[in-house]
Amino acid sequence: QLNQNIRGVHLFHSIHGVKGSGKTMSLCHAVHYCSKQGWLVLHIPDAHLWVKNCKELLPSSYHASRFDQPIQASNWLRNFRTTNEHFLSKIKLRQRYVWTKRESTEEGRPLGELVDMGVSRVKSSSDVVGAVLKELRLQAGGTEGGFRLAVAVDGVNGLWGRTTLKKEDKSPVAPEELTLVHNLRKMINNDWCGGAVIATLSQTGSLYAPSSAYLPQELLGEEGFDSMDPFIPVPVSLYSEKEFESCYLYYLDRHWLQHPHSQTEEGKKELIFLSNRNPSVLERLCAFL
Amino acid sequence: MAASVTGLLKPWTPRVLLVRWSRYNPYYLEPEPRKEVYHIPETELTPEQKEERELKSVRPIKAATNSVTSSVFNDPVLSKFVNMMMKDGDKIIAKGIITQTLENMKRKQVEKYHKAPEGKKAEIECNPYTIFHHALENCKPVIGLASIQKGGKFYQVPIPLTDNRRRFLAMKWMITECRDNKHRRTLMYEKLSQELLAAFSKEGNVVKRKHELHKMAESNRAYAHYRWW
Repeated sequence: QLNQNIRGVHLFHSIHGVKGSGKTMSLCHAVHYCSKQGWLVLHIPDAHLWVKNCKELLPSSYHASRFDQPIQASNWLRNFRTTNEHFLSKIKLRQRYVWTKRESTEEGRPLGELVDMGVSRVKSSSDVVGAVLKELRLQAGGTEGGFRLAVAVDGVNGLWGRTTLKKEDKSPVAPEELTLVHNLRKMINNDWCGGAVIATLSQTGSLYAPSSAYLPQELLGEEGFDSMDPFIPVPVSLYSEKEFESCYLYYLDRHWLQHPHSQTEEGKKELIFLSNRNPSVLERLCAFL
Repeated sequence: MAASVTGLLKPWTPRVLLVRWSRYNPYYLEPEPRKEVYHIPETELTPEQKEERELKSVRPIKAATNSVTSSVFNDPVLSKFVNMMMKDGDKIIAKGIITQTLENMKRKQVEKYHKAPEGKKAEIECNPYTIFHHALENCKPVIGLASIQKGGKFYQVPIPLTDNRRRFLAMKWMITECRDNKHRRTLMYEKLSQELLAAFSKEGNVVKRKHELHKMAESNRAYAHYRWW
């Protein structure tokens, strides 16, 4: 599906499926394919980590009502720097950014400098993230030095739910009030072109979602569903016959299935029955067999 | 005695069935969990088996315990080990520890296997189940000591042990060793896998304890005549 030539408006693919059916793995496959083709990959490993368990919440300097998350932002910038090394020197900034009275980044400087600044100055790292995303959005579809941007988000339903974070007066924080989430939502909206957005919906890290929910409507909620319109849902099902065969033969080949009974026909039928062809359950079963 | 009792008892099934751990009426028969027994076709049954089948269709049968499965991966020795490791009836945690141990052992052995040169590959044992069984065999003591009173004093007399007792002692030593002599930060499964791999190659604390017991028995050989059974 990703072999389509995406010029112009970007496409939004959302991967959904039962727990343990391989959504994150398929996202990783897609990301690898994109990076092999030479795209710039914006990979967020888990959006749920941004809306829960945050130890430091600073009020944002740029916008009065928003909150910053310095640790998560600086971690993400570090990972971004290692994944897209060769793009950092090629992309130049188109706008002047002022951080404090004495620090500012001029126009025409390479993106790498901005990212380094964000990693070293932890306090303004969330604003740096916002600036990076804005720059990439502006320059993605450009004809001169044009690169393709792939935004890969794991657990995108975390951006539209509730958060477990609280302000100092113990009132809950809505996701819009976090700078990281706000900037990420702008990326997912349809205003830029020249790239693709691939997202996974997962129940595993999500907050306030029932464990039996795996369809896009249930996990995203109304708000999320509306803002993601139109999108292409990509269902990930459990292993088919062939896939199970190949997984089983791979385990046999690597000497992972050691129990003598697991290598017989009966043992194989039992594995199919016990795991219901679910990839993660099969992995946990074969771990001790 | 059981035969006379069963003659008097009537096959009455109570409305509320007995739970497994309380005493069953001796009229009840044991369940058969293995699948192979039921796959034998009618023609190949011997007369005794046919009689047994007819008896089973008439008599009530005890409920099977939760630990008995008809799966091919069922291992009675391993189930016994899990039960011994269990605390406060928490079988889930005990089973979890054992599965993590098996996975850990397998991982270490498979890594060694893949790194070894071609000639040595056949010697490395990767199956965690065979390692477990062999390690337990290496920990079983051959002879035990009993405290026997003779003339007002208690003597440690060497006595033969039954198979069940030997297996129990080996498992008990293994579990106590792993619970007591480990660093505060090492997890149980990590320590267990280390001990099992050591016992497999006849090193480690548990085999040492077995050897010490043997030496004690050897040194107390003179008192062997105090045993009267």
